[in-house]
Amino acid sequence: MSAAAPSATPPRGTLATVRRNIVDRIGDPSLRVLAGAASVVAVFVILLLAYKVFDGSSSAFSKFGLGFLTSKIWNPVTNQFGAASFIYGTLVSSAIAMLFAGPLSIAIALYLTELAPRRVRRPVATLVDLLAAIPSVIIGLWGILVMAPFMVNQLEPALHSVLGWIPLFGGSPSPFGLLPAALVLTIMAVPIVSAITREVFETVPSDLKEAAYALGATRWEMTRMVILPIARPGIVGASILGLGRALGEAIAVTQVIGGAVSIHASLFQPADTLASRIASQFQSASGTVYISSLFYLAAILLVISLIVNIGARLIVRRGIPAKVMN
Amino acid sequence: MKASRISALVMAIASSLVIAACGSSSSSGGSSSTGSSKTLVGAGSTLIAPLMSQWQPAYDTASGVAVTYGAIGSGGGIEQITARTVDFGASDAPLTPAQFTAAKGVVQVPWALAATVVAYHLTGVPNQLKLTGTVLADIYLGQITMWNAPQIKALNPGVNLPATKITPVYRTDGSGDTYAFTNYLSHVSPTFKSKVGNATQVSFPVGLGGKGNSGVGGVLSTTNGSIAYIAISYVLENKFDYALIQNAAGKYPVPGVPSISAAAAALTSVPANNDVSIVDPPASASGAYPISTFTYAIVPTKSSKATTLKAFLSWAITTGQADGPKLDFAPLPAKVVTADTATIAKIG
Repeated sequence: MSAAAPSATPPRGTLATVRRNIVDRIGDPSLRVLAGAASVVAVFVILLLAYKVFDGSSSAFSKFGLGFLTSKIWNPVTNQFGAASFIYGTLVSSAIAMLFAGPLSIAIALYLTELAPRRVRRPVATLVDLLAAIPSVIIGLWGILVMAPFMVNQLEPALHSVLGWIPLFGGSPSPFGLLPAALVLTIMAVPIVSAITREVFETVPSDLKEAAYALGATRWEMTRMVILPIARPGIVGASILGLGRALGEAIAVTQVIGGAVSIHASLFQPADTLASRIASQFQSASGTVYISSLFYLAAILLVISLIVNIGARLIVRRGIPAKVMN
Repeated sequence: MKASRISALVMAIASSLVIAACGSSSSSGGSSSTGSSKTLVGAGSTLIAPLMSQWQPAYDTASGVAVTYGAIGSGGGIEQITARTVDFGASDAPLTPAQFTAAKGVVQVPWALAATVVAYHLTGVPNQLKLTGTVLADIYLGQITMWNAPQIKALNPGVNLPATKITPVYRTDGSGDTYAFTNYLSHVSPTFKSKVGNATQVSFPVGLGGKGNSGVGGVLSTTNGSIAYIAISYVLENKFDYALIQNAAGKYPVPGVPSISAAAAALTSVPANNDVSIVDPPASASGAYPISTFTYAIVPTKSSKATTLKAFLSWAITTGQADGPKLDFAPLPAKVVTADTATIAKIG
């Protein structure tokens, strides 16, 4: 190309060609460098963050060791710290949130992909997605002003009178506690889980669905025997993403969980989570051991999130080939 | 292959340079803030924040010095001044000996005086219930759990107290109000002192926590039977019902600037480190409100901005006090101003 160019085109054209050649030659490597640098920076930030968290927790770790995980004392006055009640609060509130959010999200996704009239689908889907755009501090405020009075005056007394013999629903109703926190987390997890689940449901091949109908399956049978099995790894993945959101949510939980250092069987009682404790106390903590203990909580949260994510990956990876085989 | 490995290496080096540059620029940002003498940067206490926002424009017009303040919490303020990333810190609790040592060459200047009020939400009961320090301590220790407990009834003859459960509410974040309240309860109840203690962040055995004044206010307004300690300005602004707390003279003064000033007037001497406590003042001060507290500026004795800093502090403890009463801060008593002036003279 460049050999023919000098004789056929005027000098200006040659210049343009040369310039294009230079751009071509520089463009490719520099794109690679820029894109590569961006990902290196991302990896670096994660590593640096993890290093900072573990480094920050070192003095609490050397003082309390692994006993930190099982001690439920948190006393800034005597400088005695332990994470047990926060680990309990984190796991229980997130587990309950997923118990609610999972089925709810699957139902929403099913409705939007299979059952809803076409005209309704888009607006409803958008509204559900919008739920994810509400800042968590606003959901927390709603929790304080609207949900808390409802919890203490209606829901918890009702639960208590019917199921009070179960320790989970024992104890006196309280406006702030594990159950309100779990409900707030449910609201925050539903849009994430339902959006992904919806995407997964849409990837189910329609010939399989039609085949099921052709065999005389009802809509429910088709859902149960075609959609759900194929979508299962996706649903699990979506739930884990929602769980990640629930585990790490700090502000909204801080607003409604009641910030108490205690482990109660009753879900009505105030408690606290790892993320919420860090959010509420880090900025005003003083003293090496205190600050280091908050870093220790962060390290625990990091490890829990890591385990959950790796677990999810394993489940999803193991799930897909089997279903593709079918 | 080779080229890609080299470019990877280049990228790694480049990114580490970027990160190093960020690190150095943030530290130089801190030193540049202490370079110019026409600005002051401070951080810390949230209690002082409303007063500070009155001070900032007033002091800018008076002297042309712009004061930047970050209400990041007392603990954060102490950390920042220890690291010298700010020109002054602000804390609601006086520094502990360990904090003094760690901060290497700082002094504390009490520069505002406020009160913590005990508010409650109890349907069918009038404002200004009467309580004593020991009853309050027992409530927060979980030993008095009902509003119609005999101890509360005895203090409030003629008030029809319902059989409602008491929900004590506390701050989950660090707060000068927690410091003042636990300081008071530790003074009047040895049990409280040994079981809970006195700090900006403590661990209460019972009750519900809220983050910030708004969090505690939220619990209070939604929960019948709740009782909470909150900054006086927040209580009066939101028209919460509040309790009258018995002082050492056996009187029940209404919390406000006059009764806080009465407590401050009972101060006999200021210790060398300016750690002033005026909770539970002696019986001679019959009109004194018992839960008042000072909040402190934490200032390095040596800094490049010493002159500007001295001028600002001297202004704050004199002229600046006039902005206090409309925000329910009481003016500093003369003894504290004298001690402050002596302390400020040591700077530079």
